[in-house]
Amino acid sequence: MAQGLRRSRTHLAWNDQVTGFLQATVYGLLQGGLLALVAVGFSLVWGVMNVVNLSHGAFVVLGAYVGWQLNISLGLDPFLGMVIVALVLFCIGYAVQRFLINLVVNGPIFITLLLTFGLELLLVQGMNIVFTANYQSIPTSYAGNAIVLGGIQVPLGRLLAFLLAVGITVLLVKVMANTRIGMSIMATGMDRGAARLMGIRARHVYALTFGIATALAGMAGTMVGTVGTFNPAAAGGFTLLSFVIAVLGGLGNMYGAMVGGLLMGLVQAWGGYYLSGTWVNALAFLVLVIVLMFRPSGLVGKAFYAARVEV
Amino acid sequence: MATVTPALWRRWGPWALGLVGALAALGLQTQLYTGQVRTVATIFMFVALALSWNLIGGYTGYASFGQVVFFGLGGYFAAVTMTHLHWSFWVALPLAGLAAAAYAVVIGIPLLRLRGHYFAIATLGVAEGTREVVINLDGLTGGGGGITVPTVGAAAATKYLGNDGFYLVYLALAVLALLITGLVSRSKFGFAMRAIHQDEDAAAAVGINTTRTKVLTFALSGLLTGLVGATYAFQQVTIYPERLFDVEITVLMVVMVVIGGSGTVLGPIIGAVALQFLSEWLRQNYTTVHTLLLGIIIIIAVILLPQGLVNYLREARRNGDYSLLANVRRYRL
Repeated sequence: MAQGLRRSRTHLAWNDQVTGFLQATVYGLLQGGLLALVAVGFSLVWGVMNVVNLSHGAFVVLGAYVGWQLNISLGLDPFLGMVIVALVLFCIGYAVQRFLINLVVNGPIFITLLLTFGLELLLVQGMNIVFTANYQSIPTSYAGNAIVLGGIQVPLGRLLAFLLAVGITVLLVKVMANTRIGMSIMATGMDRGAARLMGIRARHVYALTFGIATALAGMAGTMVGTVGTFNPAAAGGFTLLSFVIAVLGGLGNMYGAMVGGLLMGLVQAWGGYYLSGTWVNALAFLVLVIVLMFRPSGLVGKAFYAARVEV
Repeated sequence: MATVTPALWRRWGPWALGLVGALAALGLQTQLYTGQVRTVATIFMFVALALSWNLIGGYTGYASFGQVVFFGLGGYFAAVTMTHLHWSFWVALPLAGLAAAAYAVVIGIPLLRLRGHYFAIATLGVAEGTREVVINLDGLTGGGGGITVPTVGAAAATKYLGNDGFYLVYLALAVLALLITGLVSRSKFGFAMRAIHQDEDAAAAVGINTTRTKVLTFALSGLLTGLVGATYAFQQVTIYPERLFDVEITVLMVVMVVIGGSGTVLGPIIGAVALQFLSEWLRQNYTTVHTLLLGIIIIIAVILLPQGLVNYLREARRNGDYSLLANVRRYRL
């Protein structure tokens, strides 16, 4: 009898381990979908314009603050307010590209890197002054509730954010492939000279691309603010994450960003579950460097044309 | 009495100017208040850092966005050996530089095969990854809580150098960086570096061993950065991974070089002095918005002077056209 008891106890421990693993996996996938939306705009800008946008993370945080402000002053639900966030961020992004980045877009890489870094300083410090450096979160009545499936918790807010993030990314791919705007963005990314000869206004298309990227970043930011906390200093972290995900997925490859995001979410969740301390971060960067060395076009298929030329 | 011919001036003039500058900096120390000594010492630190980034980023054209890894590694090498092994600072300093150079060789051999953005991100990844390793080796490095170098009492192998001492060390490092840059820029090695910048395939075709040149340059650049990092660690006494591996330090190096003029001897010095001076002035007069103003200044500088001050003046003098508008048109879409 004692033996039977012991067996059932080890059985129970093993069961706990499986549940723990599954819980980490579910959490990683949900987080990964959101990370994909954080990174997809960054990847698009890099792929189409060959610009590494160091201010991308600042736009994510800005989106979170706009959503937060809408919630505070108008009581707007963040998942509805996201539409307005996207519009506001699109206008800002369009103007930034049209009147600022377009001025140096043909320069060597450190020029665009530096310009966007200056922009990042400006945005982050501006947000620090306007919104203070305190951590904020966008409250909802339902995001904290969880659906429990066989002992595994699925928080409602995260599930909603995941579904929206995946939906928006799929929509973006469809728009890129099937609409005139999308095709002119793709054409400009492939060969700007030829695209201009076909009557595409490259300045406008670049500004549109950047506006779309910031709008996506803003929506992702609002959702990040709903399921967790944010402050202006988080901007750098989002930029770095976008880097890693964009490279893993292949630059400018939007489905690739999805795969990269999910992978990153899983690595973070599993690493957080099994590794002590912050070794998981070291692991993430090791993966990044190895991927860069052996498959610079990303893990999934090919990188987008403009980004591939340099390798 | 010998006359100064143009040829003689071209050969020795810059060295004479450098010597005069170094002596002037030495004399300046006696004229400064205690607070100012520290500020000027920081300017020398950034001059040395900008010059070291200029070797790999300016001359060779490989934008190392993880240059701070050598700064942090040099700093932690010095701090750990001085704390746990009770090494003298004067032993730890050169070895910290060598350790950084060795690390540059180890990561340079695989990473310098990548070009453009890919090299920039790979080095950034290495810097972030190395910081995480330093945080997690907390038995040795104190982890996120930091490590404190003993500076007083029996545990201290080297007494704290004080503001005046660090002023001299940073000045010496800046002069060393200037000396190396001056020697390299006129040597065959320097021409190989410039050739790689302009067209790496063509450089390889004319018989330049591009891999060796790139790795050696990276090591030299890492050595100088590591020396500065070791000095910085001792100056700060207590160091934290977040500060010593701060991406912002890399970016400051790049900004200084680009604003001053990359691939020149004088440019990084001008950029470092101007930007650090400006940044300090803004910090004192506009404390709350100084980062914001710095961001705006970087944006304006990049748009108006994308090729840097020194290169702009050189081209403008050659073409007789000082218009900044023509300058803006250069990289515009």
